[in-house]
Amino acid sequence: MPEALAYRILCTLMADKIPAVEIINLTKDFKTSFRKQMLRAVDGVSIRIMPGEVYGLIGPNGSGKSTTMKALLGLVAPTSGTCSIFGKDSLKVDSRNDVGFLPENPYFYKHLSGSETLKFYGKLCGLKGKILEDRVSELLALVDLESARDRRLGGYSKGMLQRIGLAQALVQEPRLVILDEPTAGVDPIGSRQIRDLIFKLRERGITVFLCSHLLEQVQEVCDHVGIIFRGKMVKEGRLEDLIAIEDQTEFIIKDASPELVSNIKELVNQSTGASLVRTGKPRTTLERLFLRETTHRDEDL
Amino acid sequence: MTDTTATISRGSHISRILVIARHTFTQLVRMKVFYFLAVFAVIAIGSNFFDLPQHEGPESVGVNVLRSIKSWSLGTMTLFSVVLSIVATALLLPKDIEDRTLYTILAKPVPRIDYLAGKLLGVLLLVFVSLALMDGLMTVVLQIRSSLVLEQQLAMAQSLGWPQEAINSLKLETAAQGPCWSLQGAVIAVFLRASVMASLALLISTFSSSTLFTTIISFLVYFIGHFQADMRNAYLQAGQAGEGIFARLVTLLISLVLPDFQNFNVIDAVIEGQTMPLLILGKLTLIALYYALFFTVASWFVFAEKEF
Repeated sequence: MPEALAYRILCTLMADKIPAVEIINLTKDFKTSFRKQMLRAVDGVSIRIMPGEVYGLIGPNGSGKSTTMKALLGLVAPTSGTCSIFGKDSLKVDSRNDVGFLPENPYFYKHLSGSETLKFYGKLCGLKGKILEDRVSELLALVDLESARDRRLGGYSKGMLQRIGLAQALVQEPRLVILDEPTAGVDPIGSRQIRDLIFKLRERGITVFLCSHLLEQVQEVCDHVGIIFRGKMVKEGRLEDLIAIEDQTEFIIKDASPELVSNIKELVNQSTGASLVRTGKPRTTLERLFLRETTHRDEDL
Repeated sequence: MTDTTATISRGSHISRILVIARHTFTQLVRMKVFYFLAVFAVIAIGSNFFDLPQHEGPESVGVNVLRSIKSWSLGTMTLFSVVLSIVATALLLPKDIEDRTLYTILAKPVPRIDYLAGKLLGVLLLVFVSLALMDGLMTVVLQIRSSLVLEQQLAMAQSLGWPQEAINSLKLETAAQGPCWSLQGAVIAVFLRASVMASLALLISTFSSSTLFTTIISFLVYFIGHFQADMRNAYLQAGQAGEGIFARLVTLLISLVLPDFQNFNVIDAVIEGQTMPLLILGKLTLIALYYALFFTVASWFVFAEKEF
């Protein structure tokens, strides 16, 4: 028994060392019709995501984000380079045991209800019986769709479809979730709900690989980012390190009197080498204002 | 987490194929394809009225109408099963790709062969259930009508003073025109032919870019399949051209790749009241199984390399 326990601890420790995602020098060329010219969609991209991280891959449309994700899921074969999920080759089916995927703008089977959809995907992963029933109920509660569990997806809004899509991605309790533009076409409230779900995943220790061109959203949820442009990775690292302006310092003071502000300005002026760049009141974002106002309206109604 | 993982490891090829097949069946049923059964019911009942006057003797009374019921019913079954197997199969794969639902399925631990086999099995299940329902309706209509025909024949034979042996013989002959095991064999043959067409449409849809292309090519192969055997024979018997080894190899290859639907002409014989030997049904089953497996495996080879 102690040996078994030691083995399990060793496996857990080793599992933490294995990257959730490892993409090494991925290159993907596509044939263009008739002219037989090759189009290089991804050019020597390498990404390493450790378990528990939330990684955001950002870049303009057509920069190779979706192709990178598809290569990671084995939906396209790399021209060169390798992709692996928790150490397993992406081209092998068993690598998909530990991954959930939400594609961009998915249209699930409209003839199925929310619970039927989750049961279908659960059964594909080998779940059945009471375990499946419980899992479906748990996921519907997680994505706040309990009231719509028996409604067919044909009657779902865009935001609800994205949430049921996220639920299907989580059905087999994967350790890695890949989200391709999860908030595309979703209104700010739906977008916030999906963002909150990503926060919940992070709290549970699930690795998230997020692909988006909504920079504010990526900045809010990701701790690592990569910027891809014309198929090449142009910048990668910890978000805090990448966006910090090293030669500036920021204070945000609550209820500061005019005297205190004046004293601080005086101190800055007296010091050598330092200069005051800007003072003023921090502004909320339009999104936060929208959410605050619409939430209040809901409560009033 | 441990419990879930343990359950996942028990997921097998068969269970995944059955899940996809059941889902495909539900999807097609909810597309309201069974409305066609109402059309079939009208045809099966309507064929009762195609009774041409031909009253040379008691043995001919009402036989035409029994043939008419069988002919119309089996013809409609053939039309429905072939159209459904081609169109449904041609529709499902491109629709999954276009809606990106295929991504979500293949992103799960689902081998591509399981997906293809599940889709095919789902279509075949629908065709089978539809044919079973149509067969049931045809059998009921035929049973009622053959009883009426037999009563008419017996009344006429007795009024003409036929001996009992002749009357017994008449009973047997009329029973052969009614619902019988050979008729069930013919329905099975219709299903087998539809299975071949569904697997062929599956193969074409793995490399085709549109439902329309798959449908047109599948129907083209279906029609070619009805006279390819004649063409092969005509070519081999056309003097020197057909005597070489190369010509024989080419014709053999064509017969291995293109189904020969003339084998299924036994259905017409059953309509005429002939018996279908079990050996013929076994041969048809083996032929259909060969083509269905051949096309499915070829589909897998194409689909395994396909990029999305």
